[in-house]
Amino acid sequence: MTHSLHRTGKINDLKSDYIILAMLAAGMNDKYADSKQKLLRVAEILNQNNPVNIIPKPAWKISPVITATFIDIEMVKNAIQTLIQEDLGVSIVISGLISEIQEAVKETGLKTHTIHLSLGTFGRKELLPSEEILEITTMCGHHCVSPQSVKYYVELIKSGKISVENAAKKLSKPCVCGIFNPTRANTLLNKLSGIFS
Amino acid sequence: MEIKADLCIGCGQCIIICPVQVIKLIDNIAVIDMNLCVECSICKRNADCPVNAIRSRRLKWPRVIRSPFSDVISTHKLTGIPGRGTEEMKTNDVTNHFGVDEIGFSIEIGRPGGGTHLGNIELFTTKLTSIGVNFERESPVSALLIDDNGHIKKDIKEERVLSAIIEFKVPINKATLVMQVIKQIEKNIDTVFTVGVISQVMKDGTIPILDLLILQGFSVRPNAKINIGLGKV
Repeated sequence: MTHSLHRTGKINDLKSDYIILAMLAAGMNDKYADSKQKLLRVAEILNQNNPVNIIPKPAWKISPVITATFIDIEMVKNAIQTLIQEDLGVSIVISGLISEIQEAVKETGLKTHTIHLSLGTFGRKELLPSEEILEITTMCGHHCVSPQSVKYYVELIKSGKISVENAAKKLSKPCVCGIFNPTRANTLLNKLSGIFS
Repeated sequence: MEIKADLCIGCGQCIIICPVQVIKLIDNIAVIDMNLCVECSICKRNADCPVNAIRSRRLKWPRVIRSPFSDVISTHKLTGIPGRGTEEMKTNDVTNHFGVDEIGFSIEIGRPGGGTHLGNIELFTTKLTSIGVNFERESPVSALLIDDNGHIKKDIKEERVLSAIIEFKVPINKATLVMQVIKQIEKNIDTVFTVGVISQVMKDGTIPILDLLILQGFSVRPNAKINIGLGKV
């Protein structure tokens, strides 16, 4: 899956958008009696560090991946420090600004192992919605958030029929992985609806 | 998916939620364009249809192939992973699947919007095969290939999906050839695609592929996925 790789946005917006993904390697470290327990422990650690979104709790026991979204790199750092202390052996991948993550990782004494770079979008880009809409829709990496739903909620916000917070919550609903960032969506919806420019 | 015409009240909630915009109101009844529907089930799960008019249908071959490439909670039988790809670099600290002299590529056709017909896969796979690329065995796309020349099953080419990911790795000295193929296909494809590049990070923090990407005219986004090396066997 490349589902958190191609989030678009300006550097300032991306400074409040980080995803931590935890996973065991199939046939290697997922086969031990306590493997699942270790993945569950990671989910607890992530949940203790104030994520703004996390894969729904009922899925923790059945999903092979655990994902959580953070708006503060300090929380990401705290989570990494606990994961280092507990030495669970689960692979951890952080998505977000390269410079911020590398700095955070360095501060915890770790070294980055592998990087997945995004070269962006190619082909018939004229078919895509505006960059402002994409900044919201690409927060669901499986493209479950439709561009017209963003436009619909922006109009409802403008006419005072829904709050920005509720609109962000509604938009996050189709994203089942817990990687849609509702706090960042608030900011972007505010801009789109002209509340803040 | 189908919308029961005798139940639909024309509220339009499903139209708003459809990620490929293929539902329209005709005579105040929501109608799905079945040729373009990717079977993602998002309308059924999220439209909050007030009369429960959106129903799943039992899909037959070849239409059934649409669902695992579109419905996020549908698990590919081949990978056992929900979603459209493999473990790729996420567990590379354990598997070492991408070695220090290797570069991984993930080309996702149909992203970040609009979807694709599966025939677009062949645009890439035939050209990449001709330069000696072997595709990730566990990638759902690899299961669609019928020969060593990168062709896919004929009867699925018109099937539409939200996205399909072509995944492979090459020795670093072959990465330039791959980049040239990407540039060629960009001119001919009828949809969008995203490209991701995977590399181990050297002990001094450098990323070996970076200079080559820039030399070939590619720009690298400021955000990425980073494996921080905590995995252990």
